[in-house]
Amino acid sequence: MSGANPGAIVTVPEIAVIDEIKDEIEDVRTFYFSFENREIGRNFRVKSGQFVMCTVFGAGEFAVSLPFSPENDRPHLSVRQVGQVTRALHELRAGDKIGIRGPFGNGFPFEAIKGKNVIYVAGGIGLIPLRSSIVHVLQHRADFGRILLLYGSRSSRELMYRDMIARWRKTEGFETHFSIDRPEPGWTEHVGFVPTLVGPAAIPVKDTVAFVCGPPVMFNSVIRELLAAGLKDDAIISTLERHMKCGIGKCQHCAIGRTLVCTDGPVYTYKQIKTLGEQI
Amino acid sequence: MIVYILPKNQARALAAALAEGYELYGPVLHGISGEPLFDRIGDPDAIRLDAAIPYNPPKTVVFPQAERILSYRYDRETRQAEIVRDDLVRPKALVGLRACDLAGLLCLDRFYLGQEYVDEVYRDHRKKMFIVANTCVRPFPQCFCVCTDSGPAAREGYDVALTAVGDHYLFETGSEKGEALARRLGLKEAGPDADAVKKKTVDASIASFDAAATENKAWISRVMNRITTGFIGNDVWEYIGDQCFECGACSFVCPTCSCFNIEDLAARDGRTGRTRSWDSCSYEGYTRMAGEHNPRRPVEDRRNKRFFCKLSYSQSKKYLRPGCVGCGRCVRVCPGDIGMSNVVTYIRREITKAGAK
Amino acid sequence: MSTLTGVCTFCGTGCGHLLNVEDGAVRGVFASPGHPVSRGRLCVRGWHIHELLATEERIAAPAIRRNGRLERVSFDEAVAFAAERLGRFSGDEIAFLASPRASNEDNYLLAKLARTVFRSPHIGLASDQGHGDAAEVLLEGAGMPAMLGALTEIRRAKLILVVGADIAKLNPIIGSELHRAARGGADLITLSSRRTQIAKLSGAHLWLKPGGLRHALAAAAKILVERGWRNEAFVRDRTEGLEDFARCLSGLDLEALAAAAGLTMVEIEDLARRLSRAPSAMAFFSSGISGLDRASVALLYDLFLAAGQVGREGCGVNPVPGICNIVGSYDVGASPRFLAGHRRAEGSEAGRTPRELLAAEPTTLKALVVADRDEEIVRHAARIKGLEFVLYIGAYDNPFTDFAHVVLPAATPAEADGTYTNAERRIQLNRKRVEPPAGVLPAWRACAAIAAKRGVSWDYSSAEDVMAEIAGAVPAYAAVTYPKLEKSFGLQWPCDARHESGTVRLPLEDPGRRLKFAAARADFAAPSPSEAFPLLLMAGKATYFWHRNNIMKKTHIPKREYNALLLLYPRGFVEVNPADAKTLGVRDRASVNVVAAGGSMRVSVRLSGDVKPGTVYVPYFIEDMVPGFLNAAGAAIDEDQDSVIPVRIEKV
Repeated sequence: MSGANPGAIVTVPEIAVIDEIKDEIEDVRTFYFSFENREIGRNFRVKSGQFVMCTVFGAGEFAVSLPFSPENDRPHLSVRQVGQVTRALHELRAGDKIGIRGPFGNGFPFEAIKGKNVIYVAGGIGLIPLRSSIVHVLQHRADFGRILLLYGSRSSRELMYRDMIARWRKTEGFETHFSIDRPEPGWTEHVGFVPTLVGPAAIPVKDTVAFVCGPPVMFNSVIRELLAAGLKDDAIISTLERHMKCGIGKCQHCAIGRTLVCTDGPVYTYKQIKTLGEQI
Repeated sequence: MIVYILPKNQARALAAALAEGYELYGPVLHGISGEPLFDRIGDPDAIRLDAAIPYNPPKTVVFPQAERILSYRYDRETRQAEIVRDDLVRPKALVGLRACDLAGLLCLDRFYLGQEYVDEVYRDHRKKMFIVANTCVRPFPQCFCVCTDSGPAAREGYDVALTAVGDHYLFETGSEKGEALARRLGLKEAGPDADAVKKKTVDASIASFDAAATENKAWISRVMNRITTGFIGNDVWEYIGDQCFECGACSFVCPTCSCFNIEDLAARDGRTGRTRSWDSCSYEGYTRMAGEHNPRRPVEDRRNKRFFCKLSYSQSKKYLRPGCVGCGRCVRVCPGDIGMSNVVTYIRREITKAGAK
Repeated sequence: MSTLTGVCTFCGTGCGHLLNVEDGAVRGVFASPGHPVSRGRLCVRGWHIHELLATEERIAAPAIRRNGRLERVSFDEAVAFAAERLGRFSGDEIAFLASPRASNEDNYLLAKLARTVFRSPHIGLASDQGHGDAAEVLLEGAGMPAMLGALTEIRRAKLILVVGADIAKLNPIIGSELHRAARGGADLITLSSRRTQIAKLSGAHLWLKPGGLRHALAAAAKILVERGWRNEAFVRDRTEGLEDFARCLSGLDLEALAAAAGLTMVEIEDLARRLSRAPSAMAFFSSGISGLDRASVALLYDLFLAAGQVGREGCGVNPVPGICNIVGSYDVGASPRFLAGHRRAEGSEAGRTPRELLAAEPTTLKALVVADRDEEIVRHAARIKGLEFVLYIGAYDNPFTDFAHVVLPAATPAEADGTYTNAERRIQLNRKRVEPPAGVLPAWRACAAIAAKRGVSWDYSSAEDVMAEIAGAVPAYAAVTYPKLEKSFGLQWPCDARHESGTVRLPLEDPGRRLKFAAARADFAAPSPSEAFPLLLMAGKATYFWHRNNIMKKTHIPKREYNALLLLYPRGFVEVNPADAKTLGVRDRASVNVVAAGGSMRVSVRLSGDVKPGTVYVPYFIEDMVPGFLNAAGAAIDEDQDSVIPVRIEKV
């Protein structure tokens, strides 16, 4: 469970400019931003794993994870248009303004996992929240052991970060395993759902942590595979998503049993998830 | 602090004095039905300190049903954005707050002003407030504050606490502001037996619960453990869920419920207002995420969640006391006849059944 | 005081509420604890009426369509233009579509405008076929064209029969009263072809085959009458016409009826026996959006009459409208079948509903005056577009204005005095609590302005004046005054010289009050499945009405709640029993084609145990489903609540 983030923008959003927009996979866009007020920008210290509440003026506010590492990584949001507010976001252009509150939430527990092997298991756009963690780990390569990325999507067109992954693969000790749901011409990697990647990947289990992120239906199957492979439930870490309105632990929309995802999470170990008191 | 004497015919003077510096709120009676309500007071004579618990909860003065908290204007042509926070600070005097409602207010204080972040909106509403508590010298039919340790007398959180005794009130100050008011009204200090008189009055009130508070009994302490650990059969929640009309009223009338929704609403003049309004975990849409996933869809799960929130240890830790104050409003307002006392009864039956096995 | 007494204007229950008004605007609403019907409760809609009353999505100013676009003009200009154009039409050329949620004052003057200024008898609501039928049956049978019992007496009913209506969703607070009565020991029985929430809360659910309602009622009546379980004294002393009814029943085959109803003989006998023995009994059914058909109402009424369950405390045959002022609209004559005061419209005074005129081929209709309607009219979009002139009067933004040549804004219930009459005939007053936007007037003033431009001068200085005239025109309202309404929670009509404080239930003791058995039909066909179309499809209009309702879209929380289901099935859904789904090989949310003899539609499957195997259910108000499939199914849907179409389902 975390405490507050000192310096977080709590109630009134700070205005930020969209500097550049990049199309990712279908319906997903990346928005590079910087704060209008430079001072705010300088003091905006994020921890990998946190999220912000983003205001699309005229439409509303939505919670979105921060995919960028705090060090040497350009601030941006990668958002899929799926509801009314995110659709309005996708209509913005470079130069348009948005509002930001945050950063909120706990972060990935990097101190606690120093020296370990790190496995990333992601499905679809679930790789986006994990990106900051991967970047951080690669920025501190020496502090970690083997790095594995198990990543799958419905089709090859729906795999995020292909260029970046190609660069990551050049790092020593960075293994990748990909899958898509159905065969495609030209696809030579695994075909199947993400959980089916775990077995063949022959993951290390000693001194190892796994980060899991993806749609709820994938989550339980992946956990089963990881536990079956020998990982302990406190070595499996996930970032949970919930409908959020305030981001500061007051509106309680994000409650799962005895926890509020916006302040206690969004990063939880599977051991914690099991005892929350409600299904995720 | 100090106890003074306020003659009953001077109660008006108390309200009038407060009206000079504060917006006045207190218990009144509905013109047609005579039912007690909590409302803004224009004429201090309208206050009814002897009225039963108001049907609507006083929490509305610190947690309005709907309010704008900020507004912004964004011009897509010039790319100019401007955000303005609404000034929500208004001095308010709550005259005649019952112990249960004050306990509820303190829960909201701890929840909104404590935890990880201070909620600035709530803080603004809570500033510049004067609270006059009103001891319940007799319980009302719907009450069960004694089951939840919330009354009949308030122990903290007030500037002044009134206890009716014969032709006067014991006027107990709880703060410097209360002392200043006593001086302003020129009140005489009560005699050395004041504490004993109050204790006697409160004890008499507690003793009459069985006879007078006939509608509800909810010994929540017996079920808090069960609710926290979740060892309650799903059939209990399904039975309750079948009766739920999904109206949300239980959350709206509850002195400790604090969930809210936020909507950005475009106004005709080009500004967009960010509105905070009451929400309820009873609703199906409360947890629905964009993109269809709804982790708490079945109505029985929502009922389970609400009572977990009210009574579990984890939530009580935030309030520093149980989340239920025994006001009985949820029982009266529920179309499905659910309410705290019924739910506690169903769970206690579960425990008995399980124990008998 | 900032909590102000008023009445909710969503559904026909007419719950009391307290509006919170601060700084000249509606900020909140609370349930009113002393209200005799709602007793301190509200449903999700009522708890959020402040969202609707404070919305900025308003028709802000009068407008005239020029060059295809609506342009703002002054009120006078708009009225003059509309009056001149409308003046070119009369009689069968012009129809008036009134609003079931407008006040009595608004609807009375709209009807007066139609009949006396434009000489057109064609004024009606659209969602009222069922209510009109129920009103006629009860008027002929009991002299009272509305609920014979009272909502306030539900707690006194020892047996309550809910016929068809998903009342816990349509009128939640009435559903709440029924539930409370059941918990207090009343015998709550639901007779329906879908397992609704009230069915789950009932002591017994008689789960009908779709289309089998009339058969069930006829069977129960036959048993009651022929086994001597009828209330002899009551029937003898108070009623006439039993012989004809008995004769009609005698020609029916009980076994065949039970089979068509999908019930066992034991279930039907049990119902009849309990009904005859209950010290008091009420029947509830929905009228308005999709009411029972005339034959069913007649049978239900006759059944209760034979059992003597009418006219006493805790008794009654009770139609419940789904919208707040359907009853009042009928009272003041906003119906082609009734003039003000429940007088049957005869001869040249009898009109046709706007919907009938729009559907007629060929049609005489050239102009339409519409007050505050929803998009259900989308079915007749092409026909409306072809009219020469359309005037729209309403408070809220509405896609209907896309069809209008002139638009006039109207005040909301919080911005104008007005009365509304609920299901139990309770006339309640909403006072003006906030100022409308500049220049916006109550709808009735727009009617008066148009009349004036047509050379007819009406002299009303206030809504109270209009009510004074209504009290003169509607005998049941004769003793109603605003001061009396304001001092109380409303008055139930008849409120006249004999009943100064209103009338709770059918006043049996009134002189000349005779109860007549309604003419019952014995010839009802039950639709049956065939090999090509093995499933029976029920098309329900009422249950999901609020999901698409225009004013609901102006709210936030209720809109979110109503959308919660629809967003899961954006293309609409067909409810399929899990056993049938297994046979068909489809899962939840699978896309299927529902095929009938007249057409087909593509929707998603929704697994539901609330429909029996062999039956499927579609909610009428899902977009895309209305044209194509349901239009082809046409009259079958329009006719009655229990309309059934044989279909088959194909995997896609």
